[in-house]
Amino acid sequence: MINRNLAKILAKRYIILASLLFIAALGLVLLPEYKKNEHVTAEDLLAKVVNPERYITSDVLADKIVTKDPSILLIDLRTPKEYEAYTLQGAMNIPFDKILEPDFEGYLNQDQYDIVLFSNGNFKADQAWLLLTRKNYKNLHVLNGGINGWYNTILNPPKPTENMPNEAFERYNFRMAAASYFGVGNNTGESAVADEPEARKVVIPVMKKKKRKPEGGC
Amino acid sequence: MGPLIPNGILTDEWNIIIAVLIGLAFGFILEASGFSSSRKLAGVFYGYDFAVLKVFFTAAVVSVIGLYYMDYLGWIDMGMLYVHPTYVWAAIVGGAIMGVGFVAGGFCPGTSLCAVAIGKLDAWVYVFGILIGVFIFSEAYTVFEDLYNGSFLGYITLMDNFDIPAKWIILGVTAMALIAFFVSDIVRKRIKKVFY
Repeated sequence: MINRNLAKILAKRYIILASLLFIAALGLVLLPEYKKNEHVTAEDLLAKVVNPERYITSDVLADKIVTKDPSILLIDLRTPKEYEAYTLQGAMNIPFDKILEPDFEGYLNQDQYDIVLFSNGNFKADQAWLLLTRKNYKNLHVLNGGINGWYNTILNPPKPTENMPNEAFERYNFRMAAASYFGVGNNTGESAVADEPEARKVVIPVMKKKKRKPEGGC
Repeated sequence: MGPLIPNGILTDEWNIIIAVLIGLAFGFILEASGFSSSRKLAGVFYGYDFAVLKVFFTAAVVSVIGLYYMDYLGWIDMGMLYVHPTYVWAAIVGGAIMGVGFVAGGFCPGTSLCAVAIGKLDAWVYVFGILIGVFIFSEAYTVFEDLYNGSFLGYITLMDNFDIPAKWIILGVTAMALIAFFVSDIVRKRIKKVFY
């Protein structure tokens, strides 16, 4: 027994399929616009913000500078005037207001250096860190305490009292040694300004293009 | 989420496994649709069979619509997909050679392998010819180098080049495909039937 109604419908199957295809394409046009989140999802960003791993202590940084670690790139976020007055050895100046300018993207958006952001305190550097992390830049760190913390720990470390553990004395000795490396003789009372930092030549890393593999067709 | 392998949801080793599975399915569909018959393929040029046009055009339209819906739902990142680079003159010359080979031999490279699998002698000759062509091209690469690497326009797409949103292009291509199917049906009805 032939189902006549079904046969009637099936006779028009190509028309039906064609209209389905067209409706699907039309649906794509009619879908509401939405702003795509191209970089970091809210959950990822929150997890990164809560994570204190981005902080690098001034002791670790001092050690890296003294040993001339080539993998770090120091970014001074303060104004050029403050940068001229004093900065860390080898730091380059990208004022906070300009971190999103395309001129500096080559320095910030790369995967060859560990970038250490610092400002006077933590606040500006954390803000910059957040903005750049939101753009999904990699290898960003923040100097904990900023320049003020640097001064209080490395250049002018508090002298440990006698009841402190041995590590405190070792740390103090390291800081004193580091301070004299940076040109500060705490004992002799020399000027607290380090030698004029040499303008570090930073090679702008070449932006890598997305890998594209050859493919065939047909 | 997607693409699965570049985003690390599947490991790189799956690449080849998935390629084999899709290849098997592709070959099966080609053979099942009768694409290993060179008469069916050449039918597009003579106007008595438009199955090739319909199948490949439908496949392209279905996949582009599906991909853009998946992109909308966040299942795949269209920006990470491969875009074929455009070398204008190489594409024109290569396309012309391919077209001549298509109508003269009755296979495209993919279907010729299908036909080899079912034991067609002309397909063996065809594939052997492809290998000779590959050999000549490789040996005389310096002669063809300018053409091969010249007139490079980059990884351009219609939407970037004409600054039209993808959805309108998709709608246009879909309409174009449906019109092509409709017209090809009219043409087929007017052409004398060929038995093959």
